[in-house]
Amino acid sequence: MRTPPAPRLALTVLERFVPDNEALTGDLLEEFDARPSTVWFWVQVLAAIAAAWRTRGAEIRPLRLVDFQPADAAERTRHYGLRFPPVNLSPVAGMGGLGFMLLIGLMTRTMPAAWWLLLASALAGCVLGAVLIVLARPGGARMTEPGRIVPSGAPRMKGSV
Amino acid sequence: MARDLLTDFELMILLAILRVGDEAYGVQIAREIEATGGRRVLLGAAYTALDRLERNGLVTSTLGAPSAVRGGRAKRYFRVTARGVRAVRNTQRALVALWRGVPQLKERRS
Repeated sequence: MRTPPAPRLALTVLERFVPDNEALTGDLLEEFDARPSTVWFWVQVLAAIAAAWRTRGAEIRPLRLVDFQPADAAERTRHYGLRFPPVNLSPVAGMGGLGFMLLIGLMTRTMPAAWWLLLASALAGCVLGAVLIVLARPGGARMTEPGRIVPSGAPRMKGSV
Repeated sequence: MARDLLTDFELMILLAILRVGDEAYGVQIAREIEATGGRRVLLGAAYTALDRLERNGLVTSTLGAPSAVRGGRAKRYFRVTARGVRAVRNTQRALVALWRGVPQLKERRS
């Protein structure tokens, strides 16, 4: 007898709410192949989402452009031939493109002045980034430890970066 | 020392990885705990614990080759680090020390 396919909706929900965890998705599919129960699959998916949400509360999640982690980029690249990871272009983690557009619309409608604040923050970020790049260049001043900047002419201590 | 002690689920996961060996990935770990420990395991909860153990340096993981039965997804193999083995030993020592001298838990000889 042929194994029925895993519930597509459950898979979509899992990949949406527990992104970057292809091993878990693969394990669930492998187990589903051994015991094809839709109820079992949904229970596992909902439990995985609940477990991910519990741990997510304590994490600092910076804004990011895509659901892609550089740490495992090399390993992912090896598997590109088989499967492309889902790409979420929304910069807000856990929110889709439509939700992000809604947020933009709401912000423009209720407090348009906030855009100036956003622009100023972006500019300040660019300036800070440029300063850090200049400081990190070989000829420029160097940072020996967080918060301590040494001018380029100063002698290097043994073991310093 | 207290920081090295593990929760019961973490301890079970580490012991399951050690028992399974090089082929320890999510499904195998869950099956080992269910077969030996007699506890049902939700894979999502297992991965949450495994991620925490990896963050704390008690296990390491590597991605294997993807397979068709897994919908083209790779397996994630886990290994216990030296620090992980030390944490298991410390937890065992603490539990055995607590065990000793409890009159209600002394085995009765019939």
